[in-house]
Amino acid sequence: MYWTGLSPDEARKHLANKDKSKRDKRMSLKEAVQKYVKDGDNIGVGGFVDCRQPMAIIHEIIRQGRKDLTLTFPSEGLSVEYLAGAMALDENHLNIKRLELAYWAHEAFGISPLFRYLAENGKIEIEDWSNANMSARLKAGAMGIPFIPYRSPMGSDLVKTNRSKVIDCPFTGKPVLLLPAAHPNVAIIHVQEADMYGNCRIQGPTFVCPETSMASAYTIVTCDRLIEHEEMTRYPNRISIPYFSVDAVVEVPFGAYPGNTHGIHYFDEKHIVEFRTACDKLRKGDSGPLKEYYDNYIYGVEDFGEFISKIPYKQLQHIQKIESGIRLEAGYTAL
Amino acid sequence: MTKKYASDYTAQEMIVVAGARTLEDNKVVFAGTGLPMVAITLAQLTHGPGIVPVFEGGAVGPKLSRGLPLSVGGSRTTYRANYLLGLNAAFELTQRGFCDYGFIGGAQIDPYGNLNSTMMGDFPENYQNPKVRLPGSGGASDMACSCERTIIIMVHEPRRFVEKLDYLTSPGYLDGSPNAREKAGIVGQGPYRVITTKAILGFDDETKRMKLIATLPGETVESVQKATGFELIIPDDVYEFEPPTEEEIRLIREVIDPQGYFVAKKIKE
Repeated sequence: MYWTGLSPDEARKHLANKDKSKRDKRMSLKEAVQKYVKDGDNIGVGGFVDCRQPMAIIHEIIRQGRKDLTLTFPSEGLSVEYLAGAMALDENHLNIKRLELAYWAHEAFGISPLFRYLAENGKIEIEDWSNANMSARLKAGAMGIPFIPYRSPMGSDLVKTNRSKVIDCPFTGKPVLLLPAAHPNVAIIHVQEADMYGNCRIQGPTFVCPETSMASAYTIVTCDRLIEHEEMTRYPNRISIPYFSVDAVVEVPFGAYPGNTHGIHYFDEKHIVEFRTACDKLRKGDSGPLKEYYDNYIYGVEDFGEFISKIPYKQLQHIQKIESGIRLEAGYTAL
Repeated sequence: MTKKYASDYTAQEMIVVAGARTLEDNKVVFAGTGLPMVAITLAQLTHGPGIVPVFEGGAVGPKLSRGLPLSVGGSRTTYRANYLLGLNAAFELTQRGFCDYGFIGGAQIDPYGNLNSTMMGDFPENYQNPKVRLPGSGGASDMACSCERTIIIMVHEPRRFVEKLDYLTSPGYLDGSPNAREKAGIVGQGPYRVITTKAILGFDDETKRMKLIATLPGETVESVQKATGFELIIPDDVYEFEPPTEEEIRLIREVIDPQGYFVAKKIKE
């Protein structure tokens, strides 16, 4: 048996020795990525397909460049596509070594051109799991247990190549699947609201973000809105990720753009299609449009804010207007 | 009021209508992404206002009146939801037995209703270097195992209906042997219907092999068999499926998927 990221014992030791003080964790994304994302890391990617994707953190990782990354997630779309784009353009600057996943595509916006490109050219190591399995592995990590039993998907080819084990349940005597816990080195998560200590309030589906944060050694959080701690703790039940699980907090409005952030803005289909089309062209042999995209929107700017500044105001207004998710009820107070 | 049948509709619109009609009111249906979402939305707007959709992103029992979700984790899955957490909660309630139907698709299907949505090529030899890499299981394999029954939606082509899958992602009746699912440790009963662009299919109680139940309008037993890469069981009571009504087609085109995200105007033959 091998562990990617931390083993359960390492994860326990790491957390036991961690500073849990309630302190101001605000910093720039540049600093957060420098501090908490290293070459060789296993990254737990938050969000789900093209929803609440940690795009601002991804842009910063791409700008800084990292090597030999392992990506851990149930279902992702834009975040991993952007990382893959950087890898496809220059493997010496950024590369993904391994994937532990259930799904990589874009649902209504189509399949992933770059997952196809990387997989079909044998450029990455793949470990396929189901969504429930990846979610449960992260939950096991968050629970501090080394494995978790599950009742699917036995009988599938997934269990032939991943690290799960089918055993006879010691209590019922029937077959059950055991899944090893996942402990990424760092979780990257975008939420609607956070306070300066790292408490997060997620609106809409939580996906596996709380579990991913709690399972990981470090967590970087970006939020659309930074709210006052007093405001956050008025609704303790609504805190999705507790502050001591978070190491860096960065306020980045539109931080999941061009994906959907529940209650904040809908998908920017125009931009997603522009990016995905450039990815598709690379897969078919023309890297020009993707290189141009990265030079213009990622390498050619100082930070994510500068990228957002390049998107027409009307377009940003439009995706706010068409968002149907429940609006945030909690007030917004600037610090 | 007499029913008016639509005279002009596409194969994908037909599949959505057939999928929607297969769903009973007041059942809990775990929705896979794509055409299943469209069919569930149509069912909720027509005969099944009490259908409880479950989306793996975390939304349970929402109203789908805010428009077709573009993602099973998207904002349109949460309107007036009755429960809203995350992936673990959605799959746990499925495993517990709260989901009557799982509604999924795949790239390939075999005679026992097993599905592939992972890769094309030789497995395990070329697993790390496949001919075509597909998105992967997502939640489909979990739904196929742990929902009580599975409804499968497929484009009907010989290359998709194959005797042997390149890769088994979502379990159907496995090798078809008696109690194969139970022996493997799977809790749900298995595939119930396969809804395709040409037919409605089910499974033989004894052999667990796929059997024809109804042909869609314009299709015959022969045309369905010809589009299937393995031999179907053809019972005597195969019937012709009722065509889509004007209202069903209007709902798909004007209300549910006017932009054609999932219901493509044309299907590659």
